[in-house]
Amino acid sequence: MSSQLAIEAEVAALIVEALHLETSADQIDPEAPLFGEGLGLDSIDALEIALAISRRYGFQLRSDDERNGQIFASLRNLSAHIEKHRQH
Amino acid sequence: MLEGTPTAPLTSRAAGAVMFRRGAEPVTCGRFLADVAALAARLPDRPYALGLCADRYNALVSFAAVVSRGQVMLLSSDRSSRRRREIAADYPDLYVLADTGEDPSWEAPPDAVRVAPAAPAGAIGPNPRIPLGQVAAIGFTSGSTGVPGAHPKPWGALVAAAEAAGERFNLNHPDGQETTVVATVPPQHMYGFETTMVLPLHAATASHAGPHFFPVEVAEALHAAPGRRVLVTTPLQMRALLGSGQPMPKLQAVISATAPLEASLAEAVERAWQAPVLEIYGATEMGSIASRRTVEGPLWRLYRSVGLRRRTEDVVAAEVAGLPEPVPLADAVELEGEECFRLLGRRTDIVKLGGKRASLARLNALLNGIEGVQDGVFVVPEDLDRNPAARLAVYAVAPARSAEAILAALRQQVDPVFLPRAVTLVPALPRDSVGKLPQQALAALRRQLAGTA
Repeated sequence: MSSQLAIEAEVAALIVEALHLETSADQIDPEAPLFGEGLGLDSIDALEIALAISRRYGFQLRSDDERNGQIFASLRNLSAHIEKHRQH
Repeated sequence: MLEGTPTAPLTSRAAGAVMFRRGAEPVTCGRFLADVAALAARLPDRPYALGLCADRYNALVSFAAVVSRGQVMLLSSDRSSRRRREIAADYPDLYVLADTGEDPSWEAPPDAVRVAPAAPAGAIGPNPRIPLGQVAAIGFTSGSTGVPGAHPKPWGALVAAAEAAGERFNLNHPDGQETTVVATVPPQHMYGFETTMVLPLHAATASHAGPHFFPVEVAEALHAAPGRRVLVTTPLQMRALLGSGQPMPKLQAVISATAPLEASLAEAVERAWQAPVLEIYGATEMGSIASRRTVEGPLWRLYRSVGLRRRTEDVVAAEVAGLPEPVPLADAVELEGEECFRLLGRRTDIVKLGGKRASLARLNALLNGIEGVQDGVFVVPEDLDRNPAARLAVYAVAPARSAEAILAALRQQVDPVFLPRAVTLVPALPRDSVGKLPQQALAALRRQLAGTA
């Protein structure tokens, strides 16, 4: 597993907290898929993550934003998307 | 069509009535019918169509064209190739209807009929009459539910339910002005199908094409809608929308279904958005059958088109207008007169998550069928109905296998929402002398594991 960048560690902690995951945040591989094979999240989880992101970073996720499938493809992609759009 | 066969028109709306909103663009009933006729003319001559359109308007044009050709629409909100193969195995002579969609990771099968309605504004198509007994659609309950299978919807049942819902939710106003319906549920899920596909055909509503998944999209679509607005959603999405703090325009109502709605959430939404929060009770097998305003208490009022009869001490069945057979409810209920009932909770085998149901017995059978699993059980957390983050857990006795391997094996067979969030390997399950797993013994095991973890 490749190592987490600072923002990735922060987003990993946010995901673990929002979804009450039993995985520890530093165990999330930044390049593994969040849904399906990787963490095995589902579409309800996507909504919970979106809510946590809007509270922490002050912006809203959208379906037509770039490519949603890509944003949620991995912790790395999601974190990069947050870096680009965060308001605080 | 045989003479004397009872029929109902595809739509009872006037040609100039607004039936859909694609972004800011209104689509009239007449133009919709022109789109339907154009698509119907190029459909293959096969009995079943699998509708996989992501755009809600494309999904409705597909459904209407299929029905007007006397064919059956297969409804699946799961667009994965695995689910497609499963359905095709049961309906080998089906064809697929698809649009390009916004999801680049999804590819339509190469031989799919592409749906791209292009009738100009002002066009008017014919309004065909459909036999009431003709099966218009088939809804599916997933393979992991206790009652797996296909549930045919005769045209008459769909029309009766739409008319009853139009009446119940006061959607037909004397001024003729339609109500815009913004929905966060997919058009192929029975609840979304009824409220955003069939409803605009037979009640004065205009569905919004979407997409509406994230809170900001829902709020923007509602703000953009002229006149009356209704939000059709689920408790989870309602909670996310409220939590996002998006300002909301004036709403006629918020309608919720697919999972029990906590009274406290309903109260908070009513306060924040100044609109009544109404809940629909239904299931894929029978469609919507009753509603209530959550803050007013636990009594559900049946639609005019539905009656309930007790069959056995445990089982109550719904007699639904247009359906050939009574449908047993998945929940235990207490009847209150002819028109009302109370829910007493789900019959214990059924677990509900994300608008889907599964049978615990079936999930346990899958778990115990995994190579190397000597014994195993799915456990339902007590807060499953209240906590959106709550998921099932698994305890398994499998000395030669890892928790990850068991999870991977389950993933092959179980819908993602029912996958256990944690698989805990234990030396033995606390079965009693006849091999049963008492709830108290499981709870004790859970406490013990939590204490030693």
